Amino acid sequence: MKLAHVSTIAAPIERVWVVVMDVPRAAACVPGVAAVTPLGPDRFQGSLLVQIGPVRLVLDGEIAVIARDDGAHTASLRADAKDSRLGGTVRATMEIALSERAGGCELRIASDVQIGGRIGEFGQPVIQRKADSLLAQFARCLAERAA
Amino acid sequence: MSTAARLRVNGAEREASVSPEIRLIDVLRDQLGLTGTKEGCSVGVCGACSVLMDGALVSSCLVPSVLATGAEVTTIEGLSGQTLTPLQEAFITEGGFQCGICTPGQIVAASALLAERPRPTESEIREFMMGNLCRCTGYQGIVRAIMKAAP
Amino acid sequence: MNVSYHEPATWQEAHALLERHGDDATVLAGGTAFTLLLRQGLIRPGHVVALRRIAGASAIDADAHGGVSIGALATHTAVQRSDRITAAWPELADAVAKVATVRVRNQATLGGSVAHADPASDAPVMLCALAAQVVVTTADAGSRRVPIEELFVDTFTTTLGPAELIRSIEIPARPAGAAAVYRKYTLRSADDYACVSVGALADLGGGVFGGLRLFLGGVGPTPMRARSVERALAGTRVDARAIADAAALARDDVDPQSDTRGSAAYKREMARVWTERALRALAGMPIS
Repeated sequence: MKLAHVSTIAAPIERVWVVVMDVPRAAACVPGVAAVTPLGPDRFQGSLLVQIGPVRLVLDGEIAVIARDDGAHTASLRADAKDSRLGGTVRATMEIALSERAGGCELRIASDVQIGGRIGEFGQPVIQRKADSLLAQFARCLAERAA
Repeated sequence: MSTAARLRVNGAEREASVSPEIRLIDVLRDQLGLTGTKEGCSVGVCGACSVLMDGALVSSCLVPSVLATGAEVTTIEGLSGQTLTPLQEAFITEGGFQCGICTPGQIVAASALLAERPRPTESEIREFMMGNLCRCTGYQGIVRAIMKAAP
Repeated sequence: MNVSYHEPATWQEAHALLERHGDDATVLAGGTAFTLLLRQGLIRPGHVVALRRIAGASAIDADAHGGVSIGALATHTAVQRSDRITAAWPELADAVAKVATVRVRNQATLGGSVAHADPASDAPVMLCALAAQVVVTTADAGSRRVPIEELFVDTFTTTLGPAELIRSIEIPARPAGAAAVYRKYTLRSADDYACVSVGALADLGGGVFGGLRLFLGGVGPTPMRARSVERALAGTRVDARAIADAAALARDDVDPQSDTRGSAAYKREMARVWTERALRALAGMPIS
């Protein structure tokens, strides 16, 4: 499943980039993320609690920065997580790009997400809406941290 | 954790093991051997598993068995005695079925309709029976059968 | 799976159980959504708290404000057939009769439908239009009355706290001259969830739109209030042109997603079409 997210952040691009690429700090901007700890250079471990009505997912896993270009403000991340209670997996690659805009910058996140097991029962529309809402909150939080 | 409970099914007290995750259809078919109730879609849409709970038509695949305790449950087996009911006869004479998988649900649903409205109009029949799917008959025979059984 | 099942006899006991077991507990009303979620493997509750033994939980009565109070455990069929409701708000009975099939209506409860907060469900949309209030009780014996549209915050998500319960839903007394309507558009079969649905209430006294409340289902994360449509028609003479112009604004009052019931663009257009039809029906005009 491919998800696209675009938001405008009212903060200078260089400052936003620093926050975005500081993975534990950036992850703290995603609602539901519990402590993210480094596993090695550009590899981190963490967990994300997602609640959709009566359904609670606790996604435990790893996130890795697989490519970054500080000059172009682009990076690729890969995440691998599973929910052991309900049984399900999420694998995602995310292409992140910042570009300059009047009064700040624009954040684009293009994700390719593979969902396995129970979590897939939600169906794409519900997952997409939840992802959009998480990323919108992520962008607002980044703007605050970078301001 | 399932618990032993007493259920009233087709007028008799039956012993069954119930829990929130055991559905009424599982109790009927697997524990009580009442296999006339069929499982089709498993999501409450097709009507094959229709039964009556205190006279109200429900999908037994959507009812947690714990909610059936204390209720009078009627399945297809409980509708007729030694002979077929006029409704069942009408399903035969009017060609109200072919493969038969939906038929117990159709008959239970139609019985609920006739109990509520003994002389339904054709459009009332179509509206009430809307949720009992049949892939063979094209529904005409089913509607005719219910019209015929209505006294 | 190891599930403990509880059937409290009072609301207080139910609250205490929910408080004790927190996130591990799930409330069971009619059981339709519960069974589907359980079978899909999306919930794995350790404790299930069924409300069916609580006395009076499904009563439909006159409330203290001259309106109708519907107990949370009243089934859709009970609402559809209640003399009180068919006398005061036959349009609510009409909306409830459009839910799925007779089997689901016999089992699913009104409180369950509101708590489940499926944005494509019928009853919540009409209850929003009718300015219903939800009586929510808390573990410390407190209670609050919430305008129903404020209860819904996201897909399948309400402001209800983990130990809170919906006790009843109150519909205000019918004002003189009130007109109400519910329209549901399904794409595949009549028992489907709505592609789009519209619930509307207005006072058309003197041939002028007053107090219009218009909500749409299936086209956003919650029942969506068509505020621009309401504003455009406030104090406007009831006529076909004004209705058509205002209905066009519904496109931007909604936030649909593409799914098996149509693309987002299609749903926006259907929001316009069905808003216009609902408004014309409210005014007693033919469809077009």
